[in-house]
Amino acid sequence: MSNNQLTVLVVITVFFGLTIKPASAQQSGVDSALLQRIDALEQQMADQKPGESHLMIVGVATFGFNANKTTVIPPGGPGQSAKTVTLGDADRYEFSPMLLWRHGTKWLMEFEPSFDGNNLGVNWANISYFAAPGLIVRAGYFVLPFGIYNKRLAAGWIDKVAPDPVGIDLPGSDFGVGISGGLPLGSMKWSYDISLTNGLQLQPDGELQGAGIVDNNLNKTVSGRLSLLPFSNSCLEIGVSALYGGVASGLPYNNANATMYGADLNFVKTLSPILVNIKGQFSRLLVNGQPYVKPTDSSAYTFDNRSSSSFIQCSFRPTAGQRAFVKNLELAFRYVNFETPPNSFWGQNYREEDLGLDYWFSWRTVLKFTYAWSRSTNTSDNTSGLKGVVTNMNNIYLQFSLQL
Amino acid sequence: MKPILKRKMPLVAFAIVIAFATSIMVSCAESQKVKAKTGAQLWAENCQRCHNTPSPASFSHDQWTTIGMHMQTRAQLTDEERDKIVAFLRQF
Repeated sequence: MSNNQLTVLVVITVFFGLTIKPASAQQSGVDSALLQRIDALEQQMADQKPGESHLMIVGVATFGFNANKTTVIPPGGPGQSAKTVTLGDADRYEFSPMLLWRHGTKWLMEFEPSFDGNNLGVNWANISYFAAPGLIVRAGYFVLPFGIYNKRLAAGWIDKVAPDPVGIDLPGSDFGVGISGGLPLGSMKWSYDISLTNGLQLQPDGELQGAGIVDNNLNKTVSGRLSLLPFSNSCLEIGVSALYGGVASGLPYNNANATMYGADLNFVKTLSPILVNIKGQFSRLLVNGQPYVKPTDSSAYTFDNRSSSSFIQCSFRPTAGQRAFVKNLELAFRYVNFETPPNSFWGQNYREEDLGLDYWFSWRTVLKFTYAWSRSTNTSDNTSGLKGVVTNMNNIYLQFSLQL
Repeated sequence: MKPILKRKMPLVAFAIVIAFATSIMVSCAESQKVKAKTGAQLWAENCQRCHNTPSPASFSHDQWTTIGMHMQTRAQLTDEERDKIVAFLRQF
């Protein structure tokens, strides 16, 4: 290699050395910025890592308008009517945020406070442990497993007509423990839901009270529901329910206990182009013979303490219709029957029919128009002065309900 | 019947029912027809038993897991139904 060639090589080396070095430094700067950004994103991810504890809040709000006309007709006498118009009352207004707090996939806490226009109460507050496939163990304050209405259908955004069926509120919610689960049975399915709770409480006039009581006896109450879904598409569910337990102790009661039994039905199927939805529930309540106290003069009296309540409801929605407006409409009808013990102080035969037209804005937002008419015949004790009085009621509801 | 025995009756009945439920539980099996159902099918069949079928967009993936558990306590879904329905709703 000549001197000239060597000189050229050195110059080229120096040139490339000078040109490459700044480029390399620039690359290194980019890498460094990128790495810093990745570090920052990783930190953000780490900050937001959910862990096993997950809290979510959902809720139900229901409000509306109710126009009522009540006519009271004494035996053989002319009736007297009164009208009211209200934008919300205890039966039609509800604001219930619900907290669902999950820890992993084994534990779930459910808490639903509720403001109904008059009171701030709690619908349920319980913890569930998903112990094994088909076995959930729960404890706390929960809706008792009896029938389908109270546990599944009572929320305003689910119910097809505005009012709740009269007389279906018992046994309500209570403190206790329970187990439940759903299991396959070939192409069928069955479920169980059983609880052990404090129980209902017998009032001096013979009525039973559920919520808002302090346990007053050593006996506990067993209640449960078994259901069978005989078809593989789950379109039909048939359930039977029972409850037994002490309801009071000590004088003047004599081993007072209550027995309830019931049956329910749920059929939902699209018979194209209509989605047909039929639901029903029947329940009967018996309290063994006890001495009671008349609220009017505190004298003793007794009666055959048996009550029954039932409803049957059907609704139709043209889900396969061509026009969106028509597809969102649903026509509903419900018949309610409620009979309390004759010759008790709250004896009555109550019938109600509800006819509703609903419009669904979304799967969980509904505007309901319901017209309800009812007739109640007083069957109370002769000394009440009300026996034979007939009360007719006509109600118009416009109710909006949504779940978020 | 002695009062103490009578008082224990609900507990005895409760124990019997639990034993019965447990024995049935371990003997059940689902058919191939049911086993082959997709999450979408189960979503369409089971949710509407009580309410309208929910839109997958309504909740986040994580929230659907919580709601699946809540619905299982309400409607006694089987574990497989819950898992498939939640997996379907979490796809979107």
